[in-house]
Amino acid sequence: MNNDINLMAVAESLVDYGKSKNVDEIQVSIANEDEFTVEVRNGEIEKLTESVSKGVSIKIIQDKRVATAATSDFSEETLKYLLDDAIARAELSSQDEFAGLPDEFYDNSQQIDLEIYDPLLEEIQPDLKINIAKEIERICLSDERIKLSEGSFFQSVIGEVFIANSKGFSGSFKSSSCSSGVYLHSADENNSYEEGWWSNSVNFDGLMKPEDIAQIAINRVTRLINARKVETQKVPVIFERPMTSMLLGFLASCLNGHLIYLNQSFLVGKSGQKIAGDNINIIDNGLLKGAVGSRLFDREGVPTRELSLIDKGLLSSYILDTYSARKLGLKSTGHASGVTNFYLDKGNSSPDEIIKSVGKGLLLTRTIGQGTNSTTGDISRGAFGLWIENGEISYPVAEVTISGNLGEILNNIDMIGDDLIFDRSITGPTIKVSEMTVAGI
Amino acid sequence: MIKIEEKYFLDKLQLSKEDLNKLLSLALENGGEFSEIFIEYRFNNSVTLEEDIVKSSSRTITLGAGIRVINGEQTGYTYTNDLSFDKLKKIAITASSIAKSGIKNEVADLSKSSLKNQLYSYDNLITHLDLEKKINLVRSAYDAALKYDKRIIKVSSTLADEVQFVLIGNSSGKYVTDIRPQTRLMVVSTAEENNNRDTGFENAGGRVGVEFFETEKRPEEIGKLASEEAINLLSAYDSPAGEMPVVLGGGQSGVLIHEAVGHPLEADGAWKKTSIMSGKLGEMVANPIVTIYDDATIPSYRGSLNIDDEGTETKPVLLIENGKLVDYMNDLLSAKILKHEPNGHGRRESYRFSPIPRMNNTVLEKGDYTPEEVIRSVKKGFFAKSFQGGMVNSTGKFTFSVNLGYLIEDGQLTKPVKNATLIGSNFEILQNIDMIGNDIGFFLGTCGKDGQSVPVTCGTPTVRISKMTVGGKL
Repeated sequence: MNNDINLMAVAESLVDYGKSKNVDEIQVSIANEDEFTVEVRNGEIEKLTESVSKGVSIKIIQDKRVATAATSDFSEETLKYLLDDAIARAELSSQDEFAGLPDEFYDNSQQIDLEIYDPLLEEIQPDLKINIAKEIERICLSDERIKLSEGSFFQSVIGEVFIANSKGFSGSFKSSSCSSGVYLHSADENNSYEEGWWSNSVNFDGLMKPEDIAQIAINRVTRLINARKVETQKVPVIFERPMTSMLLGFLASCLNGHLIYLNQSFLVGKSGQKIAGDNINIIDNGLLKGAVGSRLFDREGVPTRELSLIDKGLLSSYILDTYSARKLGLKSTGHASGVTNFYLDKGNSSPDEIIKSVGKGLLLTRTIGQGTNSTTGDISRGAFGLWIENGEISYPVAEVTISGNLGEILNNIDMIGDDLIFDRSITGPTIKVSEMTVAGI
Repeated sequence: MIKIEEKYFLDKLQLSKEDLNKLLSLALENGGEFSEIFIEYRFNNSVTLEEDIVKSSSRTITLGAGIRVINGEQTGYTYTNDLSFDKLKKIAITASSIAKSGIKNEVADLSKSSLKNQLYSYDNLITHLDLEKKINLVRSAYDAALKYDKRIIKVSSTLADEVQFVLIGNSSGKYVTDIRPQTRLMVVSTAEENNNRDTGFENAGGRVGVEFFETEKRPEEIGKLASEEAINLLSAYDSPAGEMPVVLGGGQSGVLIHEAVGHPLEADGAWKKTSIMSGKLGEMVANPIVTIYDDATIPSYRGSLNIDDEGTETKPVLLIENGKLVDYMNDLLSAKILKHEPNGHGRRESYRFSPIPRMNNTVLEKGDYTPEEVIRSVKKGFFAKSFQGGMVNSTGKFTFSVNLGYLIEDGQLTKPVKNATLIGSNFEILQNIDMIGNDIGFFLGTCGKDGQSVPVTCGTPTVRISKMTVGGKL
């Protein structure tokens, strides 16, 4: 990473400038990102992207009135203009008793190493990254069932954040991530199918091997060949790991403190109540070593933590930044930058056992569309998967929909897999939901 | 400080025509065929009223440049927000490395061309409005939403405005700039009754000035419509499930045309053969009553552009004519590979992205029937009124998420229903569109593709689809 300027010093000097203008409170955060991406299609590089970019965000609070500004133009003229302008604009904001900087900040003396930065990613040559992408696609295209490659890719990102505020906090950390994957088409006489797989890691060595990524992608796209619609019915639905992630992503948004105080979540007023089955434990852990979602503190400088959100079915916490926490009479949970490693804790069943337990049902492998409503918890999406009969995978299914309600689903998860892997920032094992509507013919 | 004269931006950038020529030439150092520089300076402002108070206002200034080199079917792309000439030279060299032929192509002298299209008015720009007056607009929408019904418990109202300056220069000698205003007023209303809650949404805007909110669409109306939807949803039933005839209401149903027809007609999918419409030029792909075009030149519409993000002048592009596929929407790269004329559909979210073929304002041509006649023709079916959004995959399967719909029974709209997803595949739907209304309405959207979001609209009349899978609950 090559920074021509000291970004921590820029953040601190902006805080000083704000103080010299007598603002009550000011917070400055700067993010810097180095990106390398190669996209390969049919054996050739289709696109190579390299960049260094940075941005600064400023929040000022004057007389309990808030204004914010942001820019990628680091010229002194622009930075000062934006700050002066924010001070002027704040006068037109309403007084908001809940506005203000946090009361507690990350303690820099702790010297925690989350192992979220891998220097190797800055050292390895572009050719090695390019060859990984080429190798994944080459293996896939050598399988005759693959009709087409939409392309494979390798991406690495080195990021660094710098935060300073008028309460004297100043801190930064560096992180890295890399990902690599491929998207493929298969086909039968009537239809084409698309699927893919990608691996994601903080460390270069943590990335799945090209042959493993390729095999998963090949399997995911070829198992859909000869898919059909099914009749509209209510059946048990098994969520494969990525589908559990999708469901948990919706849950995470419904737990967000901003939707709670705005009454736009079905979980409003449910704090401390039983909202899920006894077998459900949902955790967000920002301190998991070497995990893709880990960070020392959020963009307000509040430390992240291991936080239980649903404990044996009881709603134990919302996801809060300083403002939403104050609105709800609570304390920030260190989530001003969103969730960290948000997961459903694992159960005891193997994915195979879960499939065997279903007489007739759907193994959900992919959904498309939006179809989630946080206010009601309703979910309705286009679906693809494998039909199960007598505990065995029988045939592939395409172009159906699944629908249900997240509040009900959380109480109807019969089985939880033992296959929890922290390869995504929102993750969970295979689960079985006792009943959902699958709509087809 | 916010000035929108071209001179202001050019002074800010401190890059002469010779500098640009030098950069474009450096980018071809390793033998690329084509080089391009895209520079952006953008102001974004927003102010939100929530829980009766102005919580905050924000202003963002974006500055950055992207340099692209094309060689054959390969693209090298680099970007930075450090616009010093030294830094730009560095990224030009990085982008040049995509090519390895060693044959040095020449860069044509840049000559500045003026814009033929003049689709946006710069008078009374929202961006120039005092914050106080902006707050009044937001407040009018907010109050109307809250007063609509006592069951409305929360409202949030946001006014967002933008001015984007772009400068595009390329090795073919193109040198052009554009200044693009954009604005949108959005209201979200939440209604509650007997422990049931639902949320409605409405928005309006475009590349318009203040007068839009005085004459075209008043803030009060936007607020009222958001609340009306929230209230209607309160009494809505769960949607039915299964295959049935579907009528799409005019306007919002543009999402269908956008997903099912628009995306497959973007030319990158055509040359990469990943689109289901690839190789089908000249073939009948739809029911003969279907005519679809994309027109980026409708004055002041959200998706309109004088030039696309590669500097190509925009024009209306006919895509499907009476059922026959006649053209794709292309960018320079896909036009080159397909040997088509560039038709002005190369767009990018910002300097951080290289351009790809995108839609602007996509329209399904009006038909002969009144909306009432279309609904009356269905004995038992589903009417979709408003949508949350849609999605299509490259193999032609698409979904739409319906916010609010109605059952059609004996040609009449009866019970309101919610939580439905419509799913289909695109050839089927194009065949199954079998009755088109004589009305038209436009949906304001933000379209995502390959990680890039751009503003679009889509227009549709009331449309009947003979059968479609409606995903609801049993």
